[in-house]
Amino acid sequence: MMCAWKELLAILPMRLRADVDKQGRENLQELRLRINAPPELVLTGKVSWLSGNVTQDELNFVVNTASRYSPWAASTAAQGYLTAPGGHRIGICGEAVCKDGNITGMRHISYLCIRVARDFPDLLKSLQRLEGSVLILGAPGWGKTTLLRCLIRQVAQEEAVSVVDERGELFPQGFLCGRRMDILTGCPKSAGIEMMLRTMGPACIAVDEITAAADCQALIQAVNCGVRLLATAHAGSSRDYCQRGVYRELVHQKIFDTLIVLHQDKSYHVERMTL
Amino acid sequence: MTYKWIGAVLVLVSCGGFGFTIASGYRREEQRLRQLLRALQYMECELQYHLTPLPDLCRQAAMETGGSVRDVLNKLARELESQIAPDVSSCMRAAIEDYQDFPKRFRRLMLQLGRTLGRFDLAGQIQGLQAVQASCMQEQKALEQNREMRLRSYRTLGLCAGAALAILFA
Repeated sequence: MMCAWKELLAILPMRLRADVDKQGRENLQELRLRINAPPELVLTGKVSWLSGNVTQDELNFVVNTASRYSPWAASTAAQGYLTAPGGHRIGICGEAVCKDGNITGMRHISYLCIRVARDFPDLLKSLQRLEGSVLILGAPGWGKTTLLRCLIRQVAQEEAVSVVDERGELFPQGFLCGRRMDILTGCPKSAGIEMMLRTMGPACIAVDEITAAADCQALIQAVNCGVRLLATAHAGSSRDYCQRGVYRELVHQKIFDTLIVLHQDKSYHVERMTL
Repeated sequence: MTYKWIGAVLVLVSCGGFGFTIASGYRREEQRLRQLLRALQYMECELQYHLTPLPDLCRQAAMETGGSVRDVLNKLARELESQIAPDVSSCMRAAIEDYQDFPKRFRRLMLQLGRTLGRFDLAGQIQGLQAVQASCMQEQKALEQNREMRLRSYRTLGLCAGAALAILFA
């Protein structure tokens, strides 16, 4: 297991570092900081609370250090999250600033959810080679991104894989990359897929978390160009996936050949799409 | 008698020197404002087109300018990299701590810049930088007004005061 643990500790307020290091080095999944409340550690299978209330200065410190004091430089900040060094995702919540109906920034940050990025390079050793386009299904926190990372790495040993990593979480600095991998970060998925198709000549395109109709359209276009896909989506089962409106076109056009369905205990099973 | 003359010359030179020092202080301040303005303009362009993160932005802006503004920006970049302070404002305070000789109005401008940097949205960030630029230009204009006459007055006043003192003591 690999984790940019030092990078995670570096963005935390000084007073929390020792306790987080002691309690969460092996199994911390999330750290939740709420203003005027004690920090919450979400560990594998249990929750733990640290002493002392979180202050506004501490919340500002986390956002500033994670963004190198430049939250405006992170294109995702207005969408409510930042990706810290090491690929850890920081969800931001508080008082938003809106202009013309769109969120342009945050006036006061009151809540942070830091999700720890961990990598398991050997996870897929037991999995046989998968043909065609592959979709990984699972609920939030079940390990979709981790499994996708391994899958990309495996495929990229033999095929040219273009990774459209909108959040910069898949292959942050320090994580192992595949031999034949090109990574585009900080770009919306739909625009990124189109760009990769035109410029990098990929045999395979990989994206994390299909969430919008525009993403689906871009994926369909990619498959029509003869490209194989590796992707993840929010769904508890194959049935759940087929019933969700946003994925209707993907199901209808049989874009994915294989589904990897994750379970809450981090195990998974493989299904062939038969619809 | 010789001692009296030497004393008179010393008083004259020191008072004149004082007047010249004040005049050159104003010149230095003007130059410092010009350097800051150049750095601010560079920062605005760089932000608009490259979204450069703040520590790198400060280093690059420091290279574009000179004098004590360059030193302060480099120190600010180091403060930001050390990731100890909760916000940019605190980093700026630490960066200008060593420069006690900065005039009040320049110090105020640097602190205003510190409060401006590190905002959440880019548009607000750029507006803030423009506001600091406007304040900087205002200060520059105030200094430039009747500059030649004022500087000449300081020098003359120094020399005259020296002469008056020399005559009084003689």
